[in-house]
Amino acid sequence: MITRLPIGQIIVITITSIVLSLILNVIRPNGIPLLAKELAVAEEIEYDSATEPRILAITLDQALDLYQKGTIFVDAREPEYYQEGHIRGALNFPFFLELAFKLDSLQGKNAPLVIYCSGDECGSSEDLAYELQNEGFSNLLVFKGGWTAWESNGHPTVP
Amino acid sequence: MGIQWTSDCAMINFSQRSVIALLCRVILGIILIYASIDKIVHPAEFAKAIGNYNVLPFGLENLLGIVLPILELLVGTCLVLGIMIDGAAIIAAGMMVVFIIAISQALFRGIDINCGCFKVTVENGGGHQVGIRRIIEDFIYLGMAFMVLSRGKRKWELYPKS
Repeated sequence: MITRLPIGQIIVITITSIVLSLILNVIRPNGIPLLAKELAVAEEIEYDSATEPRILAITLDQALDLYQKGTIFVDAREPEYYQEGHIRGALNFPFFLELAFKLDSLQGKNAPLVIYCSGDECGSSEDLAYELQNEGFSNLLVFKGGWTAWESNGHPTVP
Repeated sequence: MGIQWTSDCAMINFSQRSVIALLCRVILGIILIYASIDKIVHPAEFAKAIGNYNVLPFGLENLLGIVLPILELLVGTCLVLGIMIDGAAIIAAGMMVVFIIAISQALFRGIDINCGCFKVTVENGGGHQVGIRRIIEDFIYLGMAFMVLSRGKRKWELYPKS
């Protein structure tokens, strides 16, 4: 067993990693900002009319409003959770490209699209929103409360 | 008799331990290098995977998403080549402890997220969800790091020699 902590080695390896990774992040084309930004929350009025590509977070009330207007909902959870229960009419495809193709053929890439997962703390809705944005979809609304908020407020579900 | 047995045991263990430590060192190094590659290629996806754990404030997941894969790569390379093994093994052990805590709290809170352990892209079923299996794996890697730290004689090492 080593007798004393090799602090010098730990510092050398750590500092080298930090310096190398920051340099790499600056020079590479797909570098990311040093700090992540939270999704912007949709304003009261303009969340259903897109002027430029965006991903916005929406509340339960906004989601319900969009639902009543017939906006397509996408369930970003794993298929087994979808089978157990989902927002009535929501789409769920195990394969991303299948979903993207279906959405495009249903309503094009600029129509509003609500994406949700299990609740506030799941990240799959946001992940899916970014993937869809990369595919050219421009009006993506992440319903933060998700399945939990929707179901507990007694809104339409299947089954 | 008792003394004889102990010394025999120690003698056998001594060379065996060096070989086992070498194996642990190289395997752990290769695992770390392998785990780092997909994260280095997809920094945004990996940062998202960290963010989904909901443990870091102020958007720090991006900073960790930038640095952690390179640290894994560097630590893995040090272990494979035999450079600054003690420091590398301690960092590896520290990372495993952090991973075990992160995955455990995610499981405990019941959030179903992509692990971000080896593959960070989720398209077409790639990537693993967090689960007990990941924690067991991390404990095995942690054990391997301790095997490396508790190696006896310093053989097959480039730097430092003593």
